[in-house]
Amino acid sequence: MKLSFLPEDMDWVCEPCGLPLQPGMAELFYMGNVFRVELPVCPGCGAVLIGEELATGKMLQVEQLLEDK
Amino acid sequence: MDQQELHRWEGRCIQEEPPACRAGCPLGVDGRLFAEAMGRHDLAAARLVLEKSMPLAGIVGRLCEAPCESFCIRKDLGGAVALGELERYCLDAGPGRGKGLRLPGRDKNVAVLGGGPSGLVAAFELARKGYPVDLYHLGAQPGGWLRTLPEARLPAAVLHEELRFLQSLGVTCHAVPELDPGLPALARADACYLGRDDDGAIALLANLPAPDDVTFALDRPGLFAGGIADNHPQRLILSVSQGREATVSIDRYLQGASLTASRVLLRHGRTELYTDTARVPAQPRVVAAGHGGYSDDEAVREASRCLNCQCLECVKHCVYLAEYGAYPKVYARRIYNNSAIVKGIHQANRFINGCSLCDQCRTLCPNDFSMAELCLDARRQMVREKRMPPSAHWFAMSEMRAAASETALLRHAPGQKTSRWLFFPGCQLAGIRPQQTLALYRHLLAQDDSTGLWLDCCGAPAHWAGREEELAETLARLKTRWQEMGRPTLLVACSSCRKLLSEQLAEVSTVSLWSYLRHKPLPPALATAAPLALSDPCSARHDRETRQAVRDLLAAIGQQLSPLAMSGELTECCGYGGLMDNADPALAAKVARARAAQSEAPLLTYCAMCRDRLASTGHKTLHLLDLLFPGDADAADLPPATLSGRREGRRALVADARRLHGEEPTEGGRPGDDLHLAIAGDVAVLLEERRILVEDIRYVLSAAGRSASFTHRASGRRLAGGRRGEVTFWVSYRLEGTVHHLDGAWSHRMTIGQEDGP
Repeated sequence: MKLSFLPEDMDWVCEPCGLPLQPGMAELFYMGNVFRVELPVCPGCGAVLIGEELATGKMLQVEQLLEDK
Repeated sequence: MDQQELHRWEGRCIQEEPPACRAGCPLGVDGRLFAEAMGRHDLAAARLVLEKSMPLAGIVGRLCEAPCESFCIRKDLGGAVALGELERYCLDAGPGRGKGLRLPGRDKNVAVLGGGPSGLVAAFELARKGYPVDLYHLGAQPGGWLRTLPEARLPAAVLHEELRFLQSLGVTCHAVPELDPGLPALARADACYLGRDDDGAIALLANLPAPDDVTFALDRPGLFAGGIADNHPQRLILSVSQGREATVSIDRYLQGASLTASRVLLRHGRTELYTDTARVPAQPRVVAAGHGGYSDDEAVREASRCLNCQCLECVKHCVYLAEYGAYPKVYARRIYNNSAIVKGIHQANRFINGCSLCDQCRTLCPNDFSMAELCLDARRQMVREKRMPPSAHWFAMSEMRAAASETALLRHAPGQKTSRWLFFPGCQLAGIRPQQTLALYRHLLAQDDSTGLWLDCCGAPAHWAGREEELAETLARLKTRWQEMGRPTLLVACSSCRKLLSEQLAEVSTVSLWSYLRHKPLPPALATAAPLALSDPCSARHDRETRQAVRDLLAAIGQQLSPLAMSGELTECCGYGGLMDNADPALAAKVARARAAQSEAPLLTYCAMCRDRLASTGHKTLHLLDLLFPGDADAADLPPATLSGRREGRRALVADARRLHGEEPTEGGRPGDDLHLAIAGDVAVLLEERRILVEDIRYVLSAAGRSASFTHRASGRRLAGGRRGEVTFWVSYRLEGTVHHLDGAWSHRMTIGQEDGP
């Protein structure tokens, strides 16, 4: 199953590269675990955007779950 | 914690000890639970409580002499709860006997000689355990002296019904002309009970030696005896109890087990349960108006007089202990189980880290149970085993490291080469009240010009977090620096610092700042007109000297105090202690609100952190310095310092102290210091909740900290992200000219693209 956390609004541009962000696969690491997820990524430099909803929602939940494992 | 330690902990919490009535019942009937059901007029539930412990409840409950009442804690507060009368009411007015359960049949059989109460009960208990029982009795029907009772005490129909039930369990009744222990049928049985309380059991009595008073065994194996023959005032209940105890032995005997090993002994009223009755008003026992016992209403009123004896001394006063719905005995097992988990979720981590370690529980507990000790041990174990959640104490530890490095300062007094005293304000006073701290230092210098200044962290956060190594490093560093200063006496403002230093660095001599000030002339102080409720910091719980010095100082300036119930040795935490606020901010806020709600009067404290946390509830709160140094006073309704404000406060104090020493400020400038930020009130609140410092924002927005930077095409909004320490921060803003208008910020601990170092 592909985990996807693309925001509804993808109208973002990477400032240094000037390129619009595109859906791309990124790896998130925590406490020895790795998750491959689909996020907005700059096709030029690979910079990844983590929005507020993801950071304070699912990501926080997973962090806490891993911390209590 | 191993199993043995767990049992030691569990043994100290007495909440599960039986209430006095139950301990005093020879059958162990739970009078507390019974009264609770009766108070709800739930007669079916009440009868079930009786039947659980009381054999042939229809008979026994009606005739019981209620020895429990002589143990009732209500005894001197209007009279013992009338459990005996309530039992009779329950049996008369409530539903009949429930379905009796019988264990699968066994291949050994038992003979019971004597149809008095103890024989009936022995037959009942053994039959329920699955043994076929032959009951030999005098008279046409079993019952003995029970058959001589008037109808009003024991209706014949009830006796008939209970005997029918007995037979339905597998008891066969045989009428015999005399109770002869030599009856051949007895010799064929695998075990035999001799009931001495059948009416006219003369022959039986004449030849019997007294049985053992615990097992009711006679000398001959397999032979047991019990029952009270004479007119003892508790003839019924003691006979029933003896019959029951004998069956415990018979069952053990028939299974080849020891009669005594691990046997649950009768308590004869002995219980460790403590119940505070200090504030319980006396309330007279309800007397039945009619002759036929209680009416419905009378029964409910009488049952409601039950105090529902509990200890819960600690839980009653601790928001944290109450929050998790149980009491320390249960919590000890929860913590033990949490540490025993190898694979799976550690459900109790937040619980363990949520305790303020204030130790009020130990002071309240009749048995000195300390959740603080239990939780701190558990935290240390978690740290040692590398399973402490990294986020639990992250913020406090980064605060501690900053306070011990970039905002640390150690100096002799200006122009001095030695120090007699060293003023140690602690990082919270320094951060929250930098100007007052400086004014206080000037005052101390005026008292003795060999008073140095030491801005540093005592290591309490590492201690509370269970990080023994980091604490040891901190203490070693403090000790070295103290020695380099010539071993001066520390004037310590913060009770937590003083507690930690005196416990962990005993050779460093410390004096409470407040004790010191008490013996020195004060600047013209200002008492407030309204009385103040003095809230001692929890770390001053065992520091009587400091608590007294503060009261003396207040008396000296004429400050009136308003009483606060939990103060002095019983004082409560503000929610910061033990890093509760780090591990469980919502609970910590609840703790602060509960504390503030204990007084209508404005609060007064002598801990900067307590002051700010209590003030955060909206309750007017002063710090003692506001009274002693009115020139530098803050208002009682001043909002608490923000997290960023505290860092800035410490920096400002270091800069001021350097100036005092004629030194140039060494502020080198941090990344992003020159950026122009505009942070609206609601965003500032969000930053505070999420523990994001303004300097984190500056760092991310500066070129040094920025690792990702995006612009939203339609709105022009910008988003910058960067890693600082263990955390990635994101800042959302609009740029107008050179001003960064913040509209949000968030963070996460996960890393993107590659894992952080080990």
